[in-house]
Amino acid sequence: MASFIIRRFAQAMVVLLVMSLLVFAGVYVIGNPIDVLISPDATQAIRQQVIEQYGFDLPIWQQYLHFLQRLLTGDLGSSFVFNMPVATLIAQKLPATLELTLIAVLFASAVGIPLGIYAGYRPDNIAARVIMAASILGFSVPTFWIGLMLIMVFAVQFGILPAGGRGETRALFGVPFSFLTLDGWSHLILPALNLSLFKMSMMCRLAASGTREVMLTDTIKFARAAGIAERTILRRHVLKLISIPLVTVFGLELGSTLAFALVTETIFSWPGLGKLIVDSITSLDRPVMVAYLMLVSALFVVINLCVDLAYAALDPRLRHGGQ
Amino acid sequence: MTDLLEVRDLRTWFHTDRGIVKSVDGISFSLKRGEIMGLVGESGSGKSITGFSLIGLIDRPGRIEDGSSIRLEGRELVGLPDRDLRGIRGKDISMVFQDPMMTLNPVVRIIDQIGMAIRAHEQASDAQIRRRAVEALARVRITDPERKVDQYPHEFSGGMRQRVAIAIALLHRPRLVIADEPTTALDVSVQAEILKVVKALVSEMGTSLIWISHDLATVSSIADKITVMRRGQIVEAGPVRAVLDRPQHPYTQALLDALPSRSQPGELLASGATEAAGKLDPSTLGGSAVGAPADSGFVTAQGIDKTFARRAGSLRQLGVRLGLASEPAQVHAVKQAALTIARGEILGLVGESGSGKSTLGRILCGIIPPTAGTVTIGGEQVMDGLRKRSTKVQMIFQDPFASLDPRRSIFQTVAEGPVAHGLCTRAGARAYVDRWLRAVAFDPALANRYPHQFSGGQRQRIAIARALAMQPEVLICDEPVASLDVSIQAQVINLLMELRRHLNLTLLFISHDLSVVHHLCDRVVVMRHGEIIEAGTATQIFHTPKQPYTRMLLDAIPRLQP
Repeated sequence: MASFIIRRFAQAMVVLLVMSLLVFAGVYVIGNPIDVLISPDATQAIRQQVIEQYGFDLPIWQQYLHFLQRLLTGDLGSSFVFNMPVATLIAQKLPATLELTLIAVLFASAVGIPLGIYAGYRPDNIAARVIMAASILGFSVPTFWIGLMLIMVFAVQFGILPAGGRGETRALFGVPFSFLTLDGWSHLILPALNLSLFKMSMMCRLAASGTREVMLTDTIKFARAAGIAERTILRRHVLKLISIPLVTVFGLELGSTLAFALVTETIFSWPGLGKLIVDSITSLDRPVMVAYLMLVSALFVVINLCVDLAYAALDPRLRHGGQ
Repeated sequence: MTDLLEVRDLRTWFHTDRGIVKSVDGISFSLKRGEIMGLVGESGSGKSITGFSLIGLIDRPGRIEDGSSIRLEGRELVGLPDRDLRGIRGKDISMVFQDPMMTLNPVVRIIDQIGMAIRAHEQASDAQIRRRAVEALARVRITDPERKVDQYPHEFSGGMRQRVAIAIALLHRPRLVIADEPTTALDVSVQAEILKVVKALVSEMGTSLIWISHDLATVSSIADKITVMRRGQIVEAGPVRAVLDRPQHPYTQALLDALPSRSQPGELLASGATEAAGKLDPSTLGGSAVGAPADSGFVTAQGIDKTFARRAGSLRQLGVRLGLASEPAQVHAVKQAALTIARGEILGLVGESGSGKSTLGRILCGIIPPTAGTVTIGGEQVMDGLRKRSTKVQMIFQDPFASLDPRRSIFQTVAEGPVAHGLCTRAGARAYVDRWLRAVAFDPALANRYPHQFSGGQRQRIAIARALAMQPEVLICDEPVASLDVSIQAQVINLLMELRRHLNLTLLFISHDLSVVHHLCDRVVVMRHGEIIEAGTATQIFHTPKQPYTRMLLDAIPRLQP
């Protein structure tokens, strides 16, 4: 197990290194930040001074090495636009996205998986058919449209939930969170629901197809022949047998939602990372873009590592001998 | 005293979209306390459905029809609500299935699987469960049960898993156990052990047993009485001796005649049990081996070695180089094997699972390269480096459901190789394929259909036609009849014998079924742990085996009549 973790860690380092190269090169070709940083009527001398200050006159590989050096010392640089350390900037926005995403993904799993197992267990049942049809809808209707509809219905028509913002927050370890206050929750519900619908459908369909397959196996027949109750069979046999694809999707969705909750954050004016990255792209704020993309890669690497560890925990066959 | 089980006019029908399938259609039998009944029949005879009906596990669209009656100790089971049936399953009646690899949940520890089965019918503390789980494993003679209960199924061998399944089935000392082909997936020696354990436990507990099997020999070694089923109905029933010695129904007779152990080696087997057997049509044949001169070393394999390395990760490789880690374990599948097959001979390759016999077969066919050693056919190398060079050798696999591409028609399947190798032109492919299909007694008019439209026996014929169409001189058959019913098995064996005669084919016949090997083969090679431990003529091996292992294999063969 230890060697597995060490190996994965080494792989992760390589992935991050390659990623940093791609990110740096990619961002470099987007445009020249000098045009944004300096007013057009600045003198040539000032212009030259700024270029040197940021090191833009160096060859790109030297710039990359400097960037890597700073990265390793934990210095992500300063935002051109906000003129403050990128780390601080991201730390301000991250908690909002984190809580929104976690709640959305957990909610999607908590609702989607049981519904899916039920639909797979009784596929001919009317309720199961409704669930499966609804899940197709959840897949195919665009997120932004559902977001707008949610605002229309709950905020505009009935006026029972707020249309945007984080609401009242309370600090936990010095970080403000919405889910600790009632008002915060009322602000969280709609965006979280909006974000979770797609994932819920995906989890539901995965669980349903997995359950259908597993129910036909001899394992289940044997359990039934031993007189084990259906509830126990579903909870202790089926859930364990279908869990691996579910964990995979859980991890992927967690990662992609953290990184790209953009649409929902925009619609509900949720002050998270999504908004920050869009703003930084329009203003060519290189350090923010780079730091953000690096953060996203690191998150994916960590989540995938957790997913792999979860596989080993869930399936003993992967623990022994394998790898 | 009434019988333990009383089945009257049991009808289990499946109401499908395409009409009613009468899987079990009006069968009646009874079973006394402690009695063992063998329920025999071929695929589709309804024997398994009968087992599932007894235990109340018929899912829609299946249904036990009105008027059926299953009485356990006088209590009517048909029509009982699900809740009551669940109370009976595992407690009064329990069941063991064919494939122990599939019945146990791979991701749940043995102790938890046993615990679930115990708690299905009674309250028990964790300590009680542990004690009873250890007892249960000890009862089926699993050594070191204290440690084994905490393991997962994949840490057990196939035979051990089947023991665990039997232990679970016997937890509540049921009145009746239904065993559905419980030893079919196991090696003969393991099968013999399981038979012994089950026999002992059943008589010790006074449990009645219904042993469902297609194998008359196994059944005859355990059962008190035999019931023969065909197409959902019972065709014959009676004490074991009476049924085997004086079968009354022609179907029973045909089943017995199809057994290779009942006729002289080399004779064609009676295969009248199934209609549409089809006759081989030798007039259409022709092949490159016909009329070839005798050659005692036609196929020669020398010093064949095959190791499968566990793939080492890059970090591990670095570790090995720095002396910090050990080389990953290698699986030594074949060790220094050497054999020859004379032209026109059938060589039997015998061994248990994991003996390396399939690997050796694949190397001889040139499908995988050996780690060391050479294979020549008629003096010509089969492999050219890592690539197969010779089309003189072709292979037939065990599972005709897996070896045919479901998305290709029979014609496409058979024509692919010959067209690619220029044995026929694209335009002439139709006539060419027809010729080889006719050679295996397969109606060429059906060549545009797809594999799923055919039965196992027909598919195996198609697989044979595909191999023959390459005009091979050597045919490697890897367990070609292991998954077939006895009557179909007899047809395929007959076909292979006739083809050998007409085409002067050389055959390597890989099998774990010694009675088939005895019937078909001229010479036999025995493999164990990757090594060839004994070789000789079929008569030598079967009558005067030198190695104790060979003798053990022969003793483990279930024989008709106790």
